[in-house]
Parts: sequence; structure tokens; C-alpha cells
Amino acid sequence: MATVALSVDNIDQLSDSQLDLLERQIAGKFMRVVPWSAVVWGLLNCVLFFALFPLVLFDAISEWVAFPIATLCIMLAYLPSHEAQHNIIAARGAPLRWLNELVGHVSPLPLAFSYRALRATHMQHHAHTNDPELDPDYDIHEAPERGYFLTYLKQLQPSSKRNDAYGVCLQRIGQPELIFEQALFEIAYLLVLFTMAWTGYAIEAALLWWLPRMIGLYHTFYYLAREPHTPAEKQGRYADTRAFRSRFGNVVSAGMQYHIVHHLYPKIPLRLTPQAYRELRPLLVRRGCDLGDL
Amino acid sequence: MEYVLRLLLSPAAFAIGFLWPLAVQVLQRAELMTPGPSVWLVGALIVLPFTLMAHFRGSWIWLR
Repeated sequence: MATVALSVDNIDQLSDSQLDLLERQIAGKFMRVVPWSAVVWGLLNCVLFFALFPLVLFDAISEWVAFPIATLCIMLAYLPSHEAQHNIIAARGAPLRWLNELVGHVSPLPLAFSYRALRATHMQHHAHTNDPELDPDYDIHEAPERGYFLTYLKQLQPSSKRNDAYGVCLQRIGQPELIFEQALFEIAYLLVLFTMAWTGYAIEAALLWWLPRMIGLYHTFYYLAREPHTPAEKQGRYADTRAFRSRFGNVVSAGMQYHIVHHLYPKIPLRLTPQAYRELRPLLVRRGCDLGDL
Repeated sequence: MEYVLRLLLSPAAFAIGFLWPLAVQVLQRAELMTPGPSVWLVGALIVLPFTLMAHFRGSWIWLR
């Protein structure tokens, strides 16, 4: 029997196991790269966000100038931590492991989220993507596109199941201590708002953290959770995540157009997912993935 | 401990801790009212319906 060369040029002649091998070979080229840009981004973004507070309180800049900057900082706060959650900056036992954990903890502080709680729940999202019972982000995935803003407003309300989604997940996987840890982060955030409000800086608190956090979480939920996984009807390696073309481009959509690559190979840094997608695309077509018009 | 956490995360705590002084300071900044007891009363009257709705219905904006 003639040997078929492993190449995207003769993809139709490859068996499933050969496809697997070729896919892993291509993906492997983009792994084991330290994403230094995400390290700098995660640390500087957090420093910039918290520097806005003294700058506004001491009248160095107007709260109206700080408001869009704070909003942008919060929109950018999750992704560096996400790289750390997947140990992309440094694996366990590696010399730079401390940096991985530093970025993981520091980067999501503007969101008032605990890195450890985010990591634990995010791993469950990967393990059970689009499972209505086990994916802690499922309620975001299934939200309709038209009126997503309305869905988000409902999810902000005290009675929303979204408030308990991560708690239920952490309880289920036997890490209830992280529920307490996440509650402490939220209380620290609230105490900052309360202290500022009762010392005469309520408007500043609203423009520096309260409104930016609501806007930033909307962006994070919409692009990082809903768009790549909607309509949340399919499960399975090649079916639970889609590629899509964002009306606002790859930067505004936080690189999530190529999120399918991340779900297949979570060790590929965000910065390299577009390049990896372009090389993997013929294989993804063969696998029957939903690639939209990307 | 759990009771204290739930209390701090409750709609009532958010209303008293943040929304009430926010309403007062917006009224003053917009020069709709001058500082004094009356602005605190009006601020409370603005925030109270939302707080009751959040507490009893579970939504600040009726929708849920």
C-alpha cells in the first residue's frame, strides 16, 4: 500500500488517525511559546487601572477622562489571566511558574474576580462545553443574539442564576473554599465603592469602577463566552465552539473569532491563534466545524 | 460569617453603601439641590423603590 504524505494538500486521502496526527503537528508549532505580550499587558493594565483612582481623587485628571480608560482596562483584564489559567506562560514546575501565577492573580483584579475561582470554573467550561448542567457558562452561551443586552441586564439582577453559576460549579467539584474566596473579592470591591461613596466620591466611584465593570463584563461575556459557543446546542471536540467574523474586527472581539483553536489546543497563546487557525482551517473544514465565513 | 457575607452582598447594603450617597451627590453635582438634610431625604426616596424591588422581586429594574 502506498504511503500517503501527511499534508493539507492531500487531506481527502488521510484517515482519521492521520488527520489527528497532522492536526497535532500543525498545532505543536504554535505551542511552548511564552506570551510576553500577555505578561506585560496583564500587569500594566492592572497598574494603570488602579493608578486612575489617586489620579482622579487628587484631581490630576477628570473622572470623565478616567471613565473610558477604566472601562477599557476592565475589558482587557480577563485575557492575560486566561493565558495563565491554561499555564501558557509557564507550566507547573517551570522556572517562570511564579510569573504565570503572578499574571493570573493580578490581571483579573479590576474585574474583582479570584484567579483560583476563575481557573477552577474555566477548566469545567472546557471539560463540559455546552453541557446545560456542567458548563458554568452555559446560560451565557445560550443567550439569543438579538436582545443579548437584555439578557445581560437580567443576569446582573440579584435573583439571576448567573450569580450562583460559579458557586454551584465549585461546590460540585469539591472546592467550596473558592466560593468564599470569590465572595471576599466581591466584598473588597464593594467596600471600596462604599468607602468612596461615603467620603464624598460616589460619582468618581461610579465612573472608575461600577459602570466600567458592568460594561467590561458585558464585553467579556459577549465576546469571550457567548459568541464562540452560541447557539450552545452542540457538544463535542469539533462542534462545541465555532469560528465567526466579528463586525468590529479581531481586536474589538478580543481575538475570539479564532476561539475554536483555543478549545482544540488550549496551550496555544491568544496572539498565535489567528495564524494557527489559518494553517488548521482545511482540517477543520474536513472535520465539519462551524467556521462561519472566517 | 456566612450571615455577614450575605448581608454585605445584599441589595440593601448596596443601596445604603453606594446608591444612596451616589444619588445625593448626583443631585448636588447637577445643582438640582443644595447640600442639607433635604437632599439626603430626596436621595433616599429615589433609591428606596429600587431597593425594595431588588429585595423582594430580586431585580433592580423589575425585569428578571
